[in-house]
Amino acid sequence: MRKTTQNCFLLIILLIRIVPSLSSTVNYTDPTLEPVVTENSVIRQKIIDSQFKCYERMNRAPPYKKKGLFCNRTWDGWLCWDDTPAGRITAQNCPDYFPDFDPTERASKYCDETGNWFRHPESNRTWSNYTLCNSFTSEKLKMAFILYYMAIVGHALSITSLLISLAIFFYFKSLSCQRITLHKNLFFSYVLNSMFTIAHLIAVVPNPGLVKRDPASCKVLQFFHQYMLGCNYFWMLCEGIYLHTLIVVAVFAEEQRLHWYYLLGWGFPLVPASIHAVARARYFNDNCWMSVDTHLLYIVHGPVMAALLVNFFFLLNIVRVLVTKLRDTHRAESNMYMKAVRATLILVPLLGIQFVIIPWRPENRLAGEIYDYIMHILMHYQGLLVATIFCFFNGEVQGALKRQWTQYKTQWGQRRREHCSTRSTSYTATSISEVPVYLYHHDSNNEQLNGRYAEDSELVALKSGETST
Amino acid sequence: AQHFIAATACQEPDYGWMIRHYCLKQFQLSMEGIGQRLWCDWDETVGTYGELTNCTVLIAERLDCYWPNRQVDEFFVAVHRQYFRNCSPSGRALHDPPNAVLCPFILLPVLVTLLMTALVVWRSKRSEGIV
Repeated sequence: MRKTTQNCFLLIILLIRIVPSLSSTVNYTDPTLEPVVTENSVIRQKIIDSQFKCYERMNRAPPYKKKGLFCNRTWDGWLCWDDTPAGRITAQNCPDYFPDFDPTERASKYCDETGNWFRHPESNRTWSNYTLCNSFTSEKLKMAFILYYMAIVGHALSITSLLISLAIFFYFKSLSCQRITLHKNLFFSYVLNSMFTIAHLIAVVPNPGLVKRDPASCKVLQFFHQYMLGCNYFWMLCEGIYLHTLIVVAVFAEEQRLHWYYLLGWGFPLVPASIHAVARARYFNDNCWMSVDTHLLYIVHGPVMAALLVNFFFLLNIVRVLVTKLRDTHRAESNMYMKAVRATLILVPLLGIQFVIIPWRPENRLAGEIYDYIMHILMHYQGLLVATIFCFFNGEVQGALKRQWTQYKTQWGQRRREHCSTRSTSYTATSISEVPVYLYHHDSNNEQLNGRYAEDSELVALKSGETST
Repeated sequence: AQHFIAATACQEPDYGWMIRHYCLKQFQLSMEGIGQRLWCDWDETVGTYGELTNCTVLIAERLDCYWPNRQVDEFFVAVHRQYFRNCSPSGRALHDPPNAVLCPFILLPVLVTLLMTALVVWRSKRSEGIV
């Protein structure tokens, strides 16, 4: 992974490596396993370019001032090397001229004690050590392909489970509620995000011919990809705002108007996506806008990170309120904190916080591989996880699926208004943990019976902070 | 260079002389043809620069020298000093705009995001009738 240190977005740069719209830390393109001869004009261009920059640098950099012997700055044909003190090995990142050179590996050059660059014993020519650049390429490539197929499978599974969940939410009208409406929009944005990611991974990434031709359609695809990424995270933010308003601000009062949520979730992500498209076309118009080496990507990822941070604070506030309310019931301390922790852990995948907490890739090769696998699972299977936790594991949904739908239809008209607000609390409850019975009624059987007494005691308990009798 | 037969191992002074007399002359003519105003335009000069490099590589092969070497370094440093001294060094590959342009591009959406979030939070409070 590139080490960047002086930038004010250091954390975000590292986070960038994790965001699913990018090619991540490993190059997915098709390899050749031997270094190619520099007949290829594109590669030659890159090398000539680097050569020019090198001699410019050699011209402009100040002369060596320290005492003692040193090796002169030089261009070795692929990379530029500065003045180096005698007896020292200097290293820099491998170039990316060839498909099987890994730019995260290091190339090195030894300046011997006499102040001359190291000469290879066989050919007696000045020699730099590029062996690490392509020595692990075949393993890395295997892993890259594994991660690539894992990503595609993950998104396909996510799309399937999300579509099933959406079908369930739309089919069982009795489940309808404001929070479910937000869930539906969130799931829909996940579906679209996964579809665009799969389109990108299948059509663009393994297709260098298409990238070279650079049609406008692949840039449009990239634009929509960035837009859907924004939608995904902004809908997560909407969920957080809704929960926050529901639990902290106005406890289980009448229904909120959802227009603003729709605006924030579907409308607003157009703004960063458009600004990114304009800036990219003007300043960094590479083929298919595939390059991840540009800071212009922060135009989209900056707001996403801001949304995640805001969400995080809302989440903390929600947990704080819940813990306070739980404490007021005089239950055992350990029970309470455990439930709060479980609550946070279940809400985390919904609100995408893991990208904020785990940004740094370890340097060690094995740990780095494990990190890659874990992050890929978290990223690409997130839709599946969310659909499972908030639809398939939901007690209400399971109950509805179990009962005959005709039974629900007759009771729906009566129950919809009564249970909309209580159901919001019960969703919160079932997705959080078991909580004291006299605070929340989560047993789905109770829903079948007259649930009115439960509603009153809940509201009284939460509003006044006292236990109900 | 075609009629010069390499018989011995690499002689660096000979190599230096060769590239100055054969490659550099050609390069000078081409650069004169391009015109001094455009010397800093990479699109114009890239072809000529590439040919110069190729020329030094070919002569190295003829003289049985490895490429690049100390003479090549000194040669190119001198060429750069003469032709590209006033050019901006990084105007070649795709690069980000300067920070003065980049930071507003990034900070603006972030600020608008925070404003929108605050707006939505405020509006959802208001719609409950709670101030």
